[in-house]
Amino acid sequence: MQTDTPARRNAVALSVLAVVLVLMSVVVVLLREHAPGNMVPGFIIGLGIGIAGALVMAWRVLRRPDRASTFERAWTQTGDEREDALLTRALAVVGLLSLPLVGIGTLAIGFGAEAPMVMTLLLGALAVTGLLSFAVFNHRS
Amino acid sequence: MTRSLYIRGDVQNSIRDLRAETGMSQRELAEVLQVSRQTINSIETGRYDPSLPLAIAIARHFRRSVEEIFHAD
Repeated sequence: MQTDTPARRNAVALSVLAVVLVLMSVVVVLLREHAPGNMVPGFIIGLGIGIAGALVMAWRVLRRPDRASTFERAWTQTGDEREDALLTRALAVVGLLSLPLVGIGTLAIGFGAEAPMVMTLLLGALAVTGLLSFAVFNHRS
Repeated sequence: MTRSLYIRGDVQNSIRDLRAETGMSQRELAEVLQVSRQTINSIETGRYDPSLPLAIAIARHFRRSVEEIFHAD
Protein backbone atom coordinates (compact mmCIF):
# COMPACT_ATOMS: atom_id res chain seq x y z
CA MET A 1 0.00 0.00 0.00
CA GLN A 2 1.36 3.43 -0.97
CA THR A 3 0.98 6.29 1.44
CA ASP A 4 2.52 9.11 -0.64
CA THR A 5 0.39 11.25 -2.93
CA PRO A 6 0.90 11.37 -6.71
CA ALA A 7 1.83 15.05 -6.47
CA ARG A 8 4.53 14.33 -3.91
CA ARG A 9 5.77 11.38 -5.93
CA ASN A 10 5.98 13.52 -9.08
CA ALA A 11 7.84 16.21 -7.18
CA VAL A 12 10.37 13.69 -5.91
CA ALA A 13 10.81 12.22 -9.40
CA LEU A 14 11.35 15.64 -10.95
CA SER A 15 13.83 16.56 -8.22
CA VAL A 16 15.79 13.37 -8.79
CA LEU A 17 15.79 14.03 -12.54
CA ALA A 18 17.05 17.57 -12.00
CA VAL A 19 19.86 16.39 -9.72
CA VAL A 20 20.85 13.70 -12.21
CA LEU A 21 20.94 16.21 -15.07
CA VAL A 22 23.10 18.61 -13.06
CA LEU A 23 25.50 15.84 -12.02
CA MET A 24 25.73 14.52 -15.58
CA SER A 25 26.48 18.02 -16.84
CA VAL A 26 29.34 18.29 -14.36
CA VAL A 27 30.59 14.87 -15.45
CA VAL A 28 30.54 15.93 -19.11
CA VAL A 29 32.56 19.05 -18.32
CA LEU A 30 35.11 17.03 -16.35
CA LEU A 31 35.33 14.38 -19.06
CA ARG A 32 36.03 17.02 -21.68
CA GLU A 33 38.97 18.16 -19.62
CA HIS A 34 40.40 14.80 -18.60
CA ALA A 35 38.95 11.93 -20.62
CA PRO A 36 40.80 10.39 -23.55
CA GLY A 37 39.57 9.85 -27.09
CA ASN A 38 35.91 9.87 -27.93
CA MET A 39 34.70 9.10 -24.45
CA VAL A 40 32.72 12.34 -24.17
CA PRO A 41 30.54 11.77 -27.29
CA GLY A 42 30.00 8.17 -26.23
CA PHE A 43 29.03 9.21 -22.74
CA ILE A 44 26.61 11.85 -24.04
CA ILE A 45 25.04 9.38 -26.46
CA GLY A 46 24.63 6.76 -23.76
CA LEU A 47 23.26 9.33 -21.36
CA GLY A 48 20.82 10.58 -23.97
CA ILE A 49 19.58 7.09 -24.71
CA GLY A 50 19.14 6.39 -21.01
CA ILE A 51 17.25 9.62 -20.37
CA ALA A 52 15.11 9.13 -23.47
CA GLY A 53 14.22 5.62 -22.36
CA ALA A 54 13.35 6.84 -18.87
CA LEU A 55 11.16 9.61 -20.27
CA VAL A 56 9.34 7.18 -22.58
CA MET A 57 8.70 4.86 -19.65
CA ALA A 58 7.43 7.72 -17.51
CA TRP A 59 5.16 8.96 -20.31
CA ARG A 60 3.69 5.49 -20.88
CA VAL A 61 3.09 4.98 -17.18
CA LEU A 62 1.45 8.38 -16.72
CA ARG A 63 -0.72 8.25 -19.84
CA ARG A 64 -1.92 4.63 -19.70
CA PRO A 65 -0.83 3.00 -16.45
CA ASP A 66 -2.95 -0.07 -17.15
CA ARG A 67 -1.04 -0.67 -20.39
CA ALA A 68 2.39 -0.12 -18.91
CA SER A 69 4.52 -3.22 -18.51
CA THR A 70 5.49 -4.69 -15.17
CA PHE A 71 9.05 -3.51 -15.79
CA GLU A 72 7.92 0.07 -16.48
CA ARG A 73 5.70 0.23 -13.42
CA ALA A 74 8.40 -1.23 -11.21
CA TRP A 75 11.14 1.18 -12.33
CA THR A 76 8.93 4.26 -12.12
CA GLN A 77 7.82 3.21 -8.65
CA THR A 78 4.18 3.22 -9.71
CA GLY A 79 3.70 -0.50 -9.36
CA ASP A 80 1.96 -2.52 -6.71
CA GLU A 81 3.55 -4.61 -3.96
CA ARG A 82 4.35 -7.54 -6.23
CA GLU A 83 6.12 -5.32 -8.76
CA ASP A 84 8.07 -3.59 -6.00
CA ALA A 85 9.12 -7.00 -4.69
CA LEU A 86 10.20 -8.09 -8.18
CA LEU A 87 12.44 -5.05 -8.56
CA THR A 88 13.85 -5.43 -5.08
CA ARG A 89 14.76 -9.08 -5.65
CA ALA A 90 16.26 -8.41 -9.09
CA LEU A 91 18.41 -5.62 -7.68
CA ALA A 92 19.40 -7.92 -4.81
CA VAL A 93 20.76 -10.44 -7.31
CA VAL A 94 22.70 -7.64 -9.02
CA GLY A 95 24.11 -6.61 -5.67
CA LEU A 96 25.07 -10.17 -4.80
CA LEU A 97 26.81 -10.76 -8.11
CA SER A 98 28.57 -7.40 -8.13
CA LEU A 99 31.08 -8.50 -5.50
CA PRO A 100 32.46 -11.56 -7.29
CA LEU A 101 32.26 -9.80 -10.66
CA VAL A 102 34.29 -6.85 -9.37
CA GLY A 103 36.77 -9.33 -7.92
CA ILE A 104 37.08 -11.06 -11.28
CA GLY A 105 37.45 -7.70 -12.99
CA THR A 106 40.17 -6.68 -10.58
CA LEU A 107 42.04 -9.91 -11.25
CA ALA A 108 41.67 -9.41 -14.98
CA ILE A 109 43.20 -5.95 -14.72
CA GLY A 110 45.95 -7.41 -12.61
CA PHE A 111 46.66 -9.92 -15.35
CA GLY A 112 46.95 -7.15 -17.91
CA ALA A 113 43.45 -6.56 -19.24
CA GLU A 114 42.60 -2.98 -20.14
CA ALA A 115 40.73 -1.28 -17.33
CA PRO A 116 38.21 0.58 -19.57
CA MET A 117 37.29 -2.68 -21.30
CA VAL A 118 36.92 -4.52 -18.00
CA MET A 119 34.75 -1.74 -16.57
CA THR A 120 32.56 -1.72 -19.67
CA LEU A 121 32.12 -5.49 -19.55
CA LEU A 122 31.38 -5.30 -15.84
CA LEU A 123 28.70 -2.69 -16.35
CA GLY A 124 27.18 -4.71 -19.15
CA ALA A 125 27.24 -7.91 -17.13
CA LEU A 126 25.48 -6.25 -14.20
CA ALA A 127 22.87 -4.70 -16.48
CA VAL A 128 22.16 -8.03 -18.16
CA THR A 129 22.01 -9.74 -14.77
CA GLY A 130 19.42 -7.24 -13.59
CA LEU A 131 17.28 -7.63 -16.69
CA LEU A 132 17.44 -11.42 -16.66
CA SER A 133 16.72 -11.61 -12.94
CA PHE A 134 13.70 -9.37 -13.32
CA ALA A 135 12.41 -11.44 -16.23
CA VAL A 136 12.88 -14.74 -14.37
CA PHE A 137 11.25 -13.53 -11.17
CA ASN A 138 8.39 -11.97 -13.13
CA HIS A 139 7.81 -15.22 -14.99
CA ARG A 140 7.96 -17.31 -11.82
CA SER A 141 5.63 -15.07 -9.83
CA MET B 1 18.92 -18.74 0.43
CA THR B 2 17.75 -19.67 -3.06
CA ARG B 3 14.20 -20.00 -1.83
CA SER B 4 14.20 -16.50 -0.32
CA LEU B 5 14.98 -14.95 -3.70
CA TYR B 6 11.69 -16.19 -5.14
CA ILE B 7 8.24 -14.80 -4.48
CA ARG B 8 6.70 -18.22 -4.95
CA GLY B 9 3.52 -18.62 -2.97
CA ASP B 10 3.14 -21.25 -0.31
CA VAL B 11 -0.45 -20.45 0.53
CA GLN B 12 -3.50 -21.73 -1.31
CA ASN B 13 -6.53 -19.51 -1.81
CA SER B 14 -10.04 -19.55 -3.16
CA ILE B 15 -10.03 -16.13 -4.81
CA ARG B 16 -10.76 -17.49 -8.26
CA ASP B 17 -13.87 -19.26 -7.02
CA LEU B 18 -15.03 -16.21 -5.07
CA ARG B 19 -14.43 -14.00 -8.08
CA ALA B 20 -16.44 -16.37 -10.27
CA GLU B 21 -19.33 -16.27 -7.80
CA THR B 22 -19.47 -12.50 -8.06
CA GLY B 23 -18.92 -12.45 -11.82
CA MET B 24 -15.88 -10.23 -11.59
CA SER B 25 -12.99 -10.32 -14.00
CA GLN B 26 -9.39 -10.27 -12.83
CA ARG B 27 -9.06 -6.73 -14.14
CA GLU B 28 -12.11 -5.54 -12.25
CA LEU B 29 -10.86 -7.08 -9.03
CA ALA B 30 -7.44 -5.55 -9.64
CA GLU B 31 -8.97 -2.10 -10.04
CA VAL B 32 -10.93 -2.47 -6.81
CA LEU B 33 -7.83 -3.56 -4.91
CA GLN B 34 -5.56 -1.08 -6.70
CA VAL B 35 -3.11 -3.67 -7.91
CA SER B 36 -2.26 -4.92 -11.40
CA ARG B 37 -4.16 -7.68 -13.15
CA GLN B 38 -0.93 -9.69 -13.25
CA THR B 39 -0.76 -9.57 -9.47
CA ILE B 40 -4.30 -10.92 -9.15
CA ASN B 41 -3.45 -13.71 -11.57
CA SER B 42 -0.26 -14.52 -9.66
CA ILE B 43 -2.16 -14.70 -6.37
CA GLU B 44 -4.88 -16.90 -7.82
CA THR B 45 -2.40 -19.33 -9.34
CA GLY B 46 -0.46 -19.52 -6.09
CA ARG B 47 2.72 -18.02 -7.48
CA TYR B 48 2.61 -14.98 -5.21
CA ASP B 49 1.51 -14.57 -1.61
CA PRO B 50 -0.07 -11.16 -0.92
CA SER B 51 1.04 -8.97 1.92
CA LEU B 52 -1.12 -8.83 5.03
CA PRO B 53 -2.76 -5.49 4.09
CA LEU B 54 -3.63 -6.82 0.64
CA ALA B 55 -4.92 -10.11 2.05
CA ILE B 56 -7.14 -8.18 4.46
CA ALA B 57 -8.36 -5.96 1.62
CA ILE B 58 -9.24 -9.06 -0.42
CA ALA B 59 -11.05 -10.59 2.53
CA ARG B 60 -13.02 -7.40 3.15
CA HIS B 61 -14.00 -7.16 -0.50
CA PHE B 62 -15.44 -10.68 -0.49
CA ARG B 63 -16.85 -10.26 3.02
CA ARG B 64 -15.00 -13.26 4.32
CA SER B 65 -12.27 -13.76 6.89
CA VAL B 66 -8.65 -14.04 5.78
CA GLU B 67 -8.56 -17.65 7.01
CA GLU B 68 -11.56 -18.56 4.88
CA ILE B 69 -9.85 -17.32 1.74
CA PHE B 70 -6.20 -18.20 2.39
CA HIS B 71 -5.09 -21.55 3.76
CA ALA B 72 -1.58 -22.98 4.02
CA ASP B 73 -1.22 -26.64 3.14
